[in-house]
Amino acid sequence: MAPTNQNDIILKLNKLTKAFPGVLALRDVSLEVIRGHIHGLCGENGAGKSTLMKILAGVYPHGTFEGSMEFDGSELKLEAGSIRQARELGIAIVYQELTLVPQLTVGENIFLGKEPHKGFSIEWDRIYSETGALLDRYGLDIDPRAPVRTLGVGQMQMVEIAKALAEDAKVLILDEPTSALSEAEVDRLMDILRTLKSHGVTCLYISHKLEEFFRITDEITVMRDGQVVRTAPTKSVDQATLVQLMVGRAMTERFPKGDRRAGGIVLSVRGLRANDPHRREREVLKGVDFDLRRGEILGIAGLMGSGRTELVTTLFGEYGNVTAGTIELDGQAVTIRSARQAIDMGISLVPEDRKQMGLVLPQSILKNMSLPNLDRFSSLLTINVPAELQETLNYFSSLLIKANDAFTVVNTLSGGNQQKVVIAKWLMSKPRILILDDPTRGIDVGAKYEIYKLMNQLAEAGISIIMISSELEEVLGMSDRVMVMWAGKSNGTLDIKDATQETLMARATGVVQENTRS
Amino acid sequence: MKNKALLIQGIRANAQTYSLLLALGFIWILFAIATGGVYISPQNISNLFRQMTIIGFMACGMVLVIVTGGIDLSVGKLAGFVSVFVAVLQAYFNPWLVSLIYPGADATTHNIVSAIISILLGVGLGALIGVLQGSVIAYLSVPAFIVTLGGMFIFRGAILAVTQGKTIPANQPIFTDIGQGYIPNTAGLVLAVIAVILVVLFILQARKKKAQYKIEAGPLLFDILKMLVAAVGIIGYVLIVNLYQGLQIPVLLLALVAAILIYLSNSTRFGRYAYAIGGNREATRLSGIDIKKNIFKIFILMGTLCGVAGVSLASYVGYGTIAAGEGYELDVIAACILGGTSTLGGEGTVVGALIGALVMASLSTGMTMLNSPPAMVYIVKGLVFILAVLVDVSVRKSASKN
Repeated sequence: MAPTNQNDIILKLNKLTKAFPGVLALRDVSLEVIRGHIHGLCGENGAGKSTLMKILAGVYPHGTFEGSMEFDGSELKLEAGSIRQARELGIAIVYQELTLVPQLTVGENIFLGKEPHKGFSIEWDRIYSETGALLDRYGLDIDPRAPVRTLGVGQMQMVEIAKALAEDAKVLILDEPTSALSEAEVDRLMDILRTLKSHGVTCLYISHKLEEFFRITDEITVMRDGQVVRTAPTKSVDQATLVQLMVGRAMTERFPKGDRRAGGIVLSVRGLRANDPHRREREVLKGVDFDLRRGEILGIAGLMGSGRTELVTTLFGEYGNVTAGTIELDGQAVTIRSARQAIDMGISLVPEDRKQMGLVLPQSILKNMSLPNLDRFSSLLTINVPAELQETLNYFSSLLIKANDAFTVVNTLSGGNQQKVVIAKWLMSKPRILILDDPTRGIDVGAKYEIYKLMNQLAEAGISIIMISSELEEVLGMSDRVMVMWAGKSNGTLDIKDATQETLMARATGVVQENTRS
Repeated sequence: MKNKALLIQGIRANAQTYSLLLALGFIWILFAIATGGVYISPQNISNLFRQMTIIGFMACGMVLVIVTGGIDLSVGKLAGFVSVFVAVLQAYFNPWLVSLIYPGADATTHNIVSAIISILLGVGLGALIGVLQGSVIAYLSVPAFIVTLGGMFIFRGAILAVTQGKTIPANQPIFTDIGQGYIPNTAGLVLAVIAVILVVLFILQARKKKAQYKIEAGPLLFDILKMLVAAVGIIGYVLIVNLYQGLQIPVLLLALVAAILIYLSNSTRFGRYAYAIGGNREATRLSGIDIKKNIFKIFILMGTLCGVAGVSLASYVGYGTIAAGEGYELDVIAACILGGTSTLGGEGTVVGALIGALVMASLSTGMTMLNSPPAMVYIVKGLVFILAVLVDVSVRKSASKN
């Protein structure tokens, strides 16, 4: 291992503060990264990690935030409109979403935009020999001439890292690099990071998986609500401390209280396992058990990549290849192969990404709301528009959607109102089970409160609700029981009485594990 | 005040259609001046509308194909193939078949039966090919662009195989009327009045239904205005063409087809799903809609309309030749896009596409009257097409800025 000097700070952040309308995303964030170390950064969703990353990448340029940065001994000022500046200075960011061109070869990707050339002709031999040398240096067994699409996701991640290193990165920032990787690939990545460290590369490592920090980091910084809670040498903390640091805050009265009593079991899932339909070899659900009762709100907690969304889209018949396990509806075993079947069985899903999956953006509120329900408004051929409009207007007014009329194009609505349209669309199909995947993401506090009230009303009316949420507070504030997902498995279901942010986070990070049932 | 706001809103919603109508008016005025008024003579108006019918049939279906995010490059050659197939039926097959199933028929009966067989088999052939292309596109997931490009080659070959390079006559009485016939003046007027009455009844029915569901129906004045516009348009058109030879049968057929397609696209689940698929495929799939089935249906419809276009092409031209349908796909797609259909899918109207087809036909007719060489006609058509889309894009940009 290369010798490192504890006082040799390569990257220093001084009191960074970044405000968005209504939100303080970063508050006085100071951070020092020691040259040649791997520095872990953890925090709940929304703690401010992404904002920090975007400042380092130059997405939010100098002047749009307060505070200053030092890099390699001199002040770091990233100018507006120059996303490449950070990279040229030696700060490389490997994003969660891969940025490779799948059709091009490894070498072409690494040299994309800076191909060595003589006159007009590209020096292909040089590209491939330099790529080969680069891959060898870090012990990567990848063919420089292989098209990227033929590689596994893990290898693509490695190529992405190699691409960053090809530009002589001094600091490599990795944003949740393991979220799409299998366990063997994670091991491989850990090995590579150790190799990089021995070459003197500094790493800022962002992850949701706490055990990874203990495997490779030298220091860990915990962020919460836009602030740095603590930076400490990894050796001096344990997982329980981290969890506490990540969530430690008081609950506020943001959640309306419902008055309801859960009934009998409506939906029962046992030992559900499923594969990614696009990559059959990757198992996304590795054994999920839970029950859902009539008229209750079951919260699903879990960090990103834990399989929450995969679980509900599989239940809705639109995602995983179910390989094992049972789904029982009212005691009857069912298989759900399509959204149509799910809807007919009384299951509705308000998807995670309302713009991509929930709405037809260029169409009106009316057409969006009635889309899954047109059969009800149609005779043999003709749609009975007045009947459709009447029902739409019922939901339009009862959900307090703020728009001129039902013919307003949804594209022009605010996030909160768009979400209400998606919820209305699915309420109109009269579900018995309503699945809400992160229903309040990216919407303002007022609209959130209205959605919470609506959820209580629905549960009181006997609808069973499954709510996924990235915010632990929301899960604790709204649920009757909470199931925690971790690494594709259900890691226990807790009654709300027994659930605290700490117990949930401990299960969501795998610190506490449910005894495996057979 | 409120009425005024509603009126402005209504105009804005159809702004593109109106601006296209304005452009059409401008083109007509320009050619009218250039030809010393001959361009807007009843005879020429009659010809102009008749000429747009074949492209019009196909444009009606193409709108829905493009709305779902697809394309059909094979329509021209498919219509051409249907036309030579029908010519073969008319020339060689039907005389034998009719005398077999209807021995001793007089000449008129013979021709009527023969024409009916040709229509059924021609449209049926189009539909069958729609089923074939549609199933490959929808269920085997081969992109529409590729399947229909392949189809274009195949139908070109099929046309050669059927004609053997020869011209096949399809100019038998009765059959000829499909593409060339006229309806007597009085009958044409009666049809026009019936159409107007239907429109009035339809609008009143819609108002009644809204009242039944306790939904505000909007000012009666607007609806009366709509009825008036429809009445003046339909009856006025028939009066003008009556000054020449009467209402053209192919235009009547196109009006029927257009009415059906407008109904399908606006008032049925089939139409709604098409727009939803083009607007956001993923959201539509998650709404429990069978996307494959809907795309399949749309290509069957497209094939059927190519069948209709092919039959009327054979009748209009009077024979089947190897050049049948050459380049029509370009006119059809251009008509749709001129009419406001988005190449990205999700947007477009049947009415817009028909006006687009009329614009294209107006340009070629006008330039031909001015004795422009065919080369110039193509170049001008291309330039006008690009210019129109350019204006549309910049109007949209400035609209989204405000």
